[in-house]
Amino acid sequence: MTEGKSRTRPPVLLVLRVVAAAAISMALVLPVVARAQDVRLSIEKGFGEKVRIAVPLFPSTGAGEPEPEGIRDVLLFDLSHSGYFDVVENLEFVDEAERDDRASGRIDFAEWLALGAEILVKGKFQSGLSEFWLEVTVHDLEGGRAIFAKRYTSAPDGWRAAVHALSDEIVKRLTGEDGIAGTRIAFVSNATGTKEVYVMDYDGANRRRLTRESQMAIYPGWFPSGERIAYTSYRGPRQELHAVDVSSGATSRLTAFPGLNAFASVSPDGREILMTLSRDGNPEIYRLRSDGTSARRLTYGRSTESSPCWSPDGRRIAFVSDRSGRPQIHVMNSTGGTGERVTFQGYHNTTPEWSPRGDLIAYTSQIEGVFQICTVDVETGEVTRLTTDRRHKEDPSWAPDGRHIVYSAKSGGKSDLYLLDIYEKEPVKLTSGAGDYLSPAWSR
Amino acid sequence: MRRGVVLLLVVAFAAGVVFGLSGCAGRKPTEEPVVEPEVSEETDALTGEDIPLPDVDDTVFVEPLSPEFENIHFEFDRYDIRPVDEPILESIASWLEQHEDVKVLIEGHCDERGTNEYNMALGEQRALAARRYLVSLGVEAQRLSTISYGEERPLDPRSTEEAWAKNRRAHFTVSD
Repeated sequence: MTEGKSRTRPPVLLVLRVVAAAAISMALVLPVVARAQDVRLSIEKGFGEKVRIAVPLFPSTGAGEPEPEGIRDVLLFDLSHSGYFDVVENLEFVDEAERDDRASGRIDFAEWLALGAEILVKGKFQSGLSEFWLEVTVHDLEGGRAIFAKRYTSAPDGWRAAVHALSDEIVKRLTGEDGIAGTRIAFVSNATGTKEVYVMDYDGANRRRLTRESQMAIYPGWFPSGERIAYTSYRGPRQELHAVDVSSGATSRLTAFPGLNAFASVSPDGREILMTLSRDGNPEIYRLRSDGTSARRLTYGRSTESSPCWSPDGRRIAFVSDRSGRPQIHVMNSTGGTGERVTFQGYHNTTPEWSPRGDLIAYTSQIEGVFQICTVDVETGEVTRLTTDRRHKEDPSWAPDGRHIVYSAKSGGKSDLYLLDIYEKEPVKLTSGAGDYLSPAWSR
Repeated sequence: MRRGVVLLLVVAFAAGVVFGLSGCAGRKPTEEPVVEPEVSEETDALTGEDIPLPDVDDTVFVEPLSPEFENIHFEFDRYDIRPVDEPILESIASWLEQHEDVKVLIEGHCDERGTNEYNMALGEQRALAARRYLVSLGVEAQRLSTISYGEERPLDPRSTEEAWAKNRRAHFTVSD
């Protein structure tokens, strides 16, 4: 195993890892054993190395949208931002090799290897009036064999989802990890002049407004099913917690306590909600049933206790408290108590989000007058700063892979959302156009 | 009926304010420009049409006239009441004493600095601090509700010290 003793980075594409995972939990993982055989590749990768993957244009057997380039752009974005692949970038050479293959009617493995590729994705698609389909075969070039072949079908306007599913399948087959290409991000935008909750694909496409508020909708938080989003709504002179159904747009009221009804975090099992209420005269953290009933107070202090979020196992809560005089990240049991402080650097640490892997909490930290995104290791207290430039950033939210983060950054008076691989630290802008884009929440 | 009494009181109060103001302004004759009606050749065409009289009860008293309470302000990142604002809170408390049926909504606001979530909690603390102060002056707690707008509703959208100082405020309105 090249997977080291106490590595903080997850292992990159590694055949042995998949086999080992299957061996460890033999009873559960029969499908994985089968998969492990799928990926008995001839490549082996050390830690941090990426697999080089080539994607020639998929020919279309029909006409109309999308263009082959559109399909490839989506797939290359997915693969190159998965964290596991380097895309062979000289697309002219890639397409020339593909033409040669088609002319000869066979795959010239040597030519593809000479381009630096290790994995080759070949496909074709057709977009009709009623259906889109995509057929692909993924090849291990050194082994000179096909690893898997799949066909995806969708409605014509659902082709991006089909391409994302293909990317996630490639990631799963080759690494054993779940990809994030099929995930979504909820966020707040004031593009209409009113702050509303929206949802989009993780790559920024298919942006869609979910709420129709008279005042504003803020602080979206996903239910783990991905079907509903809780958010704070202003109704008349009250703040309330509502939930919106992502498919139908139907909303329902969950809470309407006096004062704050904010920062809802739905538990990993979907049964409970943490939120900040001030109904007892001070902002404190409460635990409720997910229908908004049975509010139970968890914190008792004269300071501000706020912005709660669950640990992925549901047993602990990260939150902000200014009991030390300044806002700092704290952790307590999910049954309540005083908890303990986990951030000690800086004087303004807020908006904690617990990584789905359980080890890190991402948060916003004011450093030299600028709000930056950091992580703190819950056990060791080690702080890692993820962003550096002088723009204000806030509200990190984790992708389900525990490797990617989305946050908002303000530039020239306008806020946009950025995707960040916490190991590569090169942010990708996801939003554009009029208005601010804020408070991102990544689906589970 | 009770609502009607409240409305009358509020109207009476507002009238008093207006009367007082005009008294202060003195009796300087105002020069209003006289607008000459435009005479058209085709006046006959504009005879108009009779419509039913509006229901007075529904239209005249749609919104209760509420007094304009002064805002109180806060230091950066603080929510304690400044001594300079105590007279404002005292005047609100004594007004509430004279208008026992009226309830007040206290809005807490922040400047744009700090994270959005932090400011939402801070705005609530400002509203709660004003509420506690009014309660300490004898106002019943259940007549005072709070709402935080965090940094969402600045009075002055600029990013200057002057604007920020204006935006760090608690605002008082009569609620139902």
